[in-house]
Amino acid sequence: MADTKARGPRLWTWLLLPGTLWMTGFLVASLLLVATLALGTTDPLGNPRFGFNPDNLTALADPAYRTVLLRSLGYALITCLICLAVAYPVAYAIALRGGRFKNLLIAAIVVPFFANYLVRMYGWSVVLSDDGPLLRFLRAIGVADDGTKILQTGAGVIAGLVYGFVVFMIIPLYAAMERMDTSLIEAGRDLYGGPLRTFLYVTVPATRQGAAAGCVLVFLPAMGDFVSAQLMGGPDQIMIGNLIQDKFFQGQNWPLGSALTMLLMAVLFLGMLGYLRRTRKDEAEAAR
Amino acid sequence: MNNGNTASTTGARNTATTTDAPSTAHAPSTAHAPGTPGAPRKQRRRRRAAERRPRFAIAVTALFFALLYLPVGVVVLFSFNSQKSLTVFEDVSLRWYTAFLHDDVILDSLGMSLRVSLVAMAGSLVLGVALALGLVRSRSRLGSFAGLVMLVPLITPEIVTGVAAMLLFKGLGITLSTTTVMLAEITFSISYVTVILRSRIAALNPEVEEAAMDLGATRRQALRLVTLPALLPSILASAVLIFALVFDDFVLAYFTTGVDPQPLSVRIYSAIRFGVQPTINAVGTLMLAGSVGLIVLALAIPRLFGRRGGLDLLSGK
Repeated sequence: MADTKARGPRLWTWLLLPGTLWMTGFLVASLLLVATLALGTTDPLGNPRFGFNPDNLTALADPAYRTVLLRSLGYALITCLICLAVAYPVAYAIALRGGRFKNLLIAAIVVPFFANYLVRMYGWSVVLSDDGPLLRFLRAIGVADDGTKILQTGAGVIAGLVYGFVVFMIIPLYAAMERMDTSLIEAGRDLYGGPLRTFLYVTVPATRQGAAAGCVLVFLPAMGDFVSAQLMGGPDQIMIGNLIQDKFFQGQNWPLGSALTMLLMAVLFLGMLGYLRRTRKDEAEAAR
Repeated sequence: MNNGNTASTTGARNTATTTDAPSTAHAPSTAHAPGTPGAPRKQRRRRRAAERRPRFAIAVTALFFALLYLPVGVVVLFSFNSQKSLTVFEDVSLRWYTAFLHDDVILDSLGMSLRVSLVAMAGSLVLGVALALGLVRSRSRLGSFAGLVMLVPLITPEIVTGVAAMLLFKGLGITLSTTTVMLAEITFSISYVTVILRSRIAALNPEVEEAAMDLGATRRQALRLVTLPALLPSILASAVLIFALVFDDFVLAYFTTGVDPQPLSVRIYSAIRFGVQPTINAVGTLMLAGSVGLIVLALAIPRLFGRRGGLDLLSGK
């Protein structure tokens, strides 16, 4: 390791340059532009004008926006919880009981995820629709009645988000379970822990980091999504992504759209900060 | 360095075998009833019984797979429906595939998506491979900055990147077009190439490169004749992966595309927003088949080269 420095690092620095310049030029610059335009205004024709004007930021305090923000946060958090509830059994079953089919099963989960997001969501909305297969089945077994709806409700939007991003929870959890020392579970059982207690006191703590990583990976895209709310929800289920999209396309108020984008970034940044502090603490504990 | 490497690989292999062993060894034990602890034989039985199938987890997994494939199955099934309905399957027909082949707008979109994917793949590979090499090998300050910048697309929701890219192009007075989609997709894909290749490059043995230089190769020759060929399977696999990701990408394309032509996913988005169009089922089915083929190819490439593990798709990275 120590000799890397001595081996003329100039070529490596040159290799870094084009990619870094490209990313800085496009990505960093464009994000700064969003931040700047959030302080801008629109002229009477609706064209964006740069300036220093806190109007857009104060507009964000409007109760209507607060409702949408809180709803998005709620949907994204519930999505994380449902993804956890689904991913734990799935990852557990595959990692510990998958045997030689492990890789095949994981590939079977990953492959449909690479199918076009819109096509998947569209298919899901057909499945969840009022006379789609799922509700017809639930009505047949008497769980749902004729008036039960999934589409046009918050549950529909959350179902869409879960379907869209659950794979991001399964993969890190599966990786964590693969790394876990399975003799710990046996030990838990030997100490007369029931399956549930062993799971809660042995499996969950041992895979906590995988779960935390999965939560971040699900929460980020779920907070920014606007397709699910559009396809599965109604006007009362719009999320912050729909607001942003609306300001840039239909509403033509780019400065306000930029301010909303910054708000979304701020919320996610706080979430990331919490996650990083948590993992640091975990690492510090592990080092002790 | 070398010793450390060998130790860690054997270590990994050992854990792999130990985690595999109990699941196979205890598999037949499911039939045993729980015994009372005491005699060694009974104790062993009780232990085995404790290893019994986690029925709840398996049931959830089965249900999960059913729901995972149901929407995909619906799209594929109804793409062959002779009627417009999405709930009643009448008769098998290729009607919607024929409609797709005669829809010039959608065919234009398909062509544009293919072009964008190819250009984005090539561009992000060149920039991403170089960046990954630099990130692993360079200890310069630029390296740590690049490492941070590279993370930005991975921790930013796509809608933010999309809005930002759109504003940048508009701000520079560039009309949104196929080119702007290509530029945005390249930017977005560099991080993926870099993330995939970084761990591969770090796993390479630098002593092989040193050996090449001891034998008279310059650093650049060693890179071209030793390192890059060793990375070829991973590079090809990530190329396929990037192609699939860009081809299927919607959000970034939506914010950066011009009016005509529009990428296929944007076209699908407008179609499903304004009511059901069964042609979308046919297009969707073809896209599904394409993506599945590409992913299987990406996973298979390292094996074709006879090496273990080219893509870290399955190990959670």
